[in-house]
Amino acid sequence: MFAHLIQDPPAQHVENPAPPIVPDAWGQMPKLASTFDHVDGLFYFTYAVCIFFFVLITGVLAYSVVAYRRKTFDQPAVANTTHNTPLEVVWTVIPLIIVMVMFAWGYYGARDMTNIPADARMYRATAKQWNWTFKHPGSQDDSYGEVWMEVGKNAAFVLDSTDVLHAFYLPSMRVKRDVIPGRNQTVWFQPTEVGDYHLFCAEYCGDHHSKMYAQVHVVTAAEFAKKPWAKWEDSTPALAAVSAEKQIYKTLCASCHTTNGTKLVGPSWQGLFVKRPDGSIVGAQREVIEGGQRKTITVDEAYIAESIRKPDQKKVVGYEAANMTAYELEDRKIKAVVEYMKTLAVEGK
Amino acid sequence: MTTNVLAHDVHAAHPESGKKNYLNVTSGFMSWAGTLDHKRIGLMYLVGVSLAFLSGGLFALLVRLHLWQPHGALFSNADYNSIFTLHGAFMVFLFVIPAIPGSLGNIVLPLMLGAKDVALPRLNLLSFYLWVTGAVLATLAIVFGGFDTGWTFYTPYSLYTQKAVVLIGMAVFVLGFSSIFTGLNFIVTTHKLRAPGLTWFRMPLFVWALYATSLLQVLATPVLGITVLLVAFERLYHIGIFDPRLGGDPVLFEHFFWFYSHPAVYIMVLPAFGIISELVTVHSRKPLFGYKLIAFSSLAIAIISFLVWGHHMFTSGQSTYAMFAFSFLTFFVAIPTAIKEFSWVATVYKGSIALNSPMLYTLAFLIIFAIGGLTGVILGSLNVDIHLHDTYFVVAHFHYVMMGSIALAFFAGLHHWWPKMFGVMYNEALAKLACLIIFVGFNATFIPQFIMGSRGMPRRYATYVPEYAPYHQASTIGAIVLVAGVGLMVYYLLASLFQRRAAMQNQWGGVTLEWLAPTPPPLENFDHPPKVTTEVYDYSTLDLETTRTPIR
Repeated sequence: MFAHLIQDPPAQHVENPAPPIVPDAWGQMPKLASTFDHVDGLFYFTYAVCIFFFVLITGVLAYSVVAYRRKTFDQPAVANTTHNTPLEVVWTVIPLIIVMVMFAWGYYGARDMTNIPADARMYRATAKQWNWTFKHPGSQDDSYGEVWMEVGKNAAFVLDSTDVLHAFYLPSMRVKRDVIPGRNQTVWFQPTEVGDYHLFCAEYCGDHHSKMYAQVHVVTAAEFAKKPWAKWEDSTPALAAVSAEKQIYKTLCASCHTTNGTKLVGPSWQGLFVKRPDGSIVGAQREVIEGGQRKTITVDEAYIAESIRKPDQKKVVGYEAANMTAYELEDRKIKAVVEYMKTLAVEGK
Repeated sequence: MTTNVLAHDVHAAHPESGKKNYLNVTSGFMSWAGTLDHKRIGLMYLVGVSLAFLSGGLFALLVRLHLWQPHGALFSNADYNSIFTLHGAFMVFLFVIPAIPGSLGNIVLPLMLGAKDVALPRLNLLSFYLWVTGAVLATLAIVFGGFDTGWTFYTPYSLYTQKAVVLIGMAVFVLGFSSIFTGLNFIVTTHKLRAPGLTWFRMPLFVWALYATSLLQVLATPVLGITVLLVAFERLYHIGIFDPRLGGDPVLFEHFFWFYSHPAVYIMVLPAFGIISELVTVHSRKPLFGYKLIAFSSLAIAIISFLVWGHHMFTSGQSTYAMFAFSFLTFFVAIPTAIKEFSWVATVYKGSIALNSPMLYTLAFLIIFAIGGLTGVILGSLNVDIHLHDTYFVVAHFHYVMMGSIALAFFAGLHHWWPKMFGVMYNEALAKLACLIIFVGFNATFIPQFIMGSRGMPRRYATYVPEYAPYHQASTIGAIVLVAGVGLMVYYLLASLFQRRAAMQNQWGGVTLEWLAPTPPPLENFDHPPKVTTEVYDYSTLDLETTRTPIR
C-alpha cells in the first residue's frame, strides 16, 4: 500500500485545466455563470439567518459564562427556572416559519431546475470510468473531455453511464445530476457568461474519480457557429498526432496509460513502436494472452484498433487483471492515435 | 438553596477503606473476558472504541497529508481511495455508532436508573463480542486487499470493485447485530429496572436519549443488515437486485442504505445530546430548562428521522414530489434539534457555571453543534443542495456533527464520568489546554472545507484542481493541530490512572443516582437499593460536602 511513497507520482492527465476561474473574492460561491440565481439568493439568505442565530447562541453563552461563573464551591444558580412556555413557543414557531420560507424558495428553485424549457438544445453526455464524451446538438461527432455551448441559449444534457454511478457537476452553473447506468437523466441550464468552466464528476466512481474532468467552453454565437467540436486536423501525420494527443489521449487514455514508460493501470504507450537506425518506425513485439494462450505479436494498426474497441481480446502480459473500457473510435481517429504512438517510439533495431 | 436535604433514601457514597469496587473485586483475564458486569463491559467497549477512533484518526491524518498538494502528496489514487474509505468505515461503524451507548451508556445507564445491572447482562456481553468480531472482520478486510467503496458502498461500483467488499459487508452485518442487541437491552432495562419513585419524567435526559436511540437501533439497523447481505449475494451469485447489467436498480440501493443511515445519524447524535443535556445542568447547577420538551424532542427526532432519507438523494433524479416531501420533513426535523440547542443555552443562562474541563468540552460542543446544525439547514433547501451535494461543504457539515459534536460530547462525558468510573482525577490544567487545542484545530480543519465546498470542490478526490490548494493546506494544518490536541488528551487520561490522584466523592456535584453510588461503584452498584422522592435535577438536594471530600 505504501510502495507508492518511493515512486514518482503518476502523470497528471489534466495538466492544470486551462484558465482557472477567477475567484469571486468576497462571495462564498464561485462566480455565477447561469440563470439559476435563486440558488445564490437562497444560499446567502440562509447564510445570513445562520449567522444571526449563531451570534445569538454564542452571545448568550459568552455572556452567561462571564456573568454567572461559579466563584465559590457552594455558589447556587441565580435562577432555577425550569421552563417558560411563551419563550418556548416563540423559539419553536419563529424558526419553523423561517425554515418554511426556505423550503418553499428551495422547492420552486429546484422545480425550475428540473423542468426543461421547450427551446433547449439537446446535448448528450456519456460518462464512463473516468472521462466524459459529448455529442453536440445536430452532430454525430464524439467530443472527448470538452463541450462547447452558446452563451445565452438554453441547453439540456441527456446523461448516461456505461459502467457505475457518476455525477455531472458544473459548480459555476449550480447544476448537478447523478449519472446512472441504464437511466437517461437530464439536466438543463442557460450559460450567461463566456468562459471556460470546470465539469467535475461528483459521485465517487473508483480509482481515478478525481481525474474525471471535462471543460465546458461557453462561447459567443459567432464562435459557436464555427462548430469547434468538429475540428479534427489529420491532413498530415504530424497534425493527426497532435489532434490525437490533445483530443483523445489526454481526455480518454492518460488516467491509465503514460507516455514516459511508467506503469499505471495499463501499459505505457512509450515503446509500442521502435525507431530503427535508418529512421523507419516499426511495431514492437508484445507478449499477450488471447483466449488463454500466451503469444507474441507485433504491434500494428489492427492490434491498436482491436485493443481500443475490444480491449479484452488480447491482454498484455502483466496487465491481465486490468479492465479497460471499450471505445468505439472511428478509423481516422485510430489512425491518428497510431501516429501519436509513433511519436513515442524508442530507438531500437 | 443550599440546604442539605437528603433526597434519596440512600446513604451518600462513603466507601469504607479497602472496600472492593468493580475494578478490583476480581482479577485475571477471564474475570474481564467473561464478566457480566455492565461497568466492566462498558470499560472494554471504551478501550475498543478508543482504539477504533485512534485508527480512524490516523487514516484521517493520512488523507489530510495526502491532500497537501493538488496532485496528491503521498499515495496513488487507488490507495488514497482505500484510506478515505477506511477512515469513514472505522469511524462510523466501529466508533461513532457504538461509542457512547457501548461505553458510557453501558456504565452509566444502570447507575442512573438505580439498577444493579442491565436487564440482560449475557446479551450485553454478546453485544461486545459481536463488536469485537466486527472489528476483527474489518481489520481482516484491510489485510485482504482493503476496500475502496467509500463507507456508503454505493452500487454498482461496490459490485464491480476487486476489493474485499464482502468481508467488510460481513463486518457491518455483525456490528449491526451488536447495535441491535445493545438497543434491545437498554429498552428493557429502562422499562423494567427503574428504581422505585423514578418515574419516566424523573429520568435523567441521558436515559431518555439512550432510550430514543435504542428504538432507532432496533427498528432501523435490520434494514442495513439486509442491504449489505443483498450486496454480498449480488457479488457472489449475480442475482441482479442493484446491478443495472442484470436488470437491477442502483438507486434502490441508495434508498435502502439511507433508510438506515439517516436514522443512524440520530443513533449517533442522540446519545451525544443526552450527555450534553446532563452536563449542562450539572455544571450550571441548575435544573434543565425545558426538560419535557427536550425529552419529547428526542422521540420526535427518532420518529421523523425515518422519513427524511431521501434528502441524501436530491440529485439522483427522484420525482419532484418525492423531493418536495423529503425537503419539507428535513426542515421539520430541524425544529426539535433547534429546541434542544436553545434549551441548553437557556440552562446555562443564570446558572452557577463551573468552568471545569467537562464544561469546556460542553461549551465547545454547543458552539460547534450550532454550526453543524445551522449548516444542515443550508443543505435542506432543494436548489442549494443540488449545488452543494457531494462537495466538501457536506463533508464539513457532517464532520461538525460527527466529530465536532458527537466525538466532543463523548470526550465531555468521558471527562465527566472519569472520576466516577476510576475514582481518580486527571490533570485539569492539561485537560483545559487539550480542549482548547482540539477546538481550535477542529475549526481550522473544517471551516476551510465549508468554503472550498461551496466553491465547488467535490468530495472523495485524490487530486484536485490547483485553485483549491490554499483551502486544503489550511485544513491539513488544522488537522495536525487537532491530532496534537487528541494526543494530549490520551496522554493525561492514561497518566491519571497511574498517578492515582483521588477524585471527590461527588466530583461535580451531580444529583442523579449515579453520583449517590459509591465511587468507584461496587459490583451491583449500590450499597442500599435507591428510592427516588424528588424531581430530577433538583440541586437543593445536593450535599455540597461530598463535592470536596476525596474518596478514601
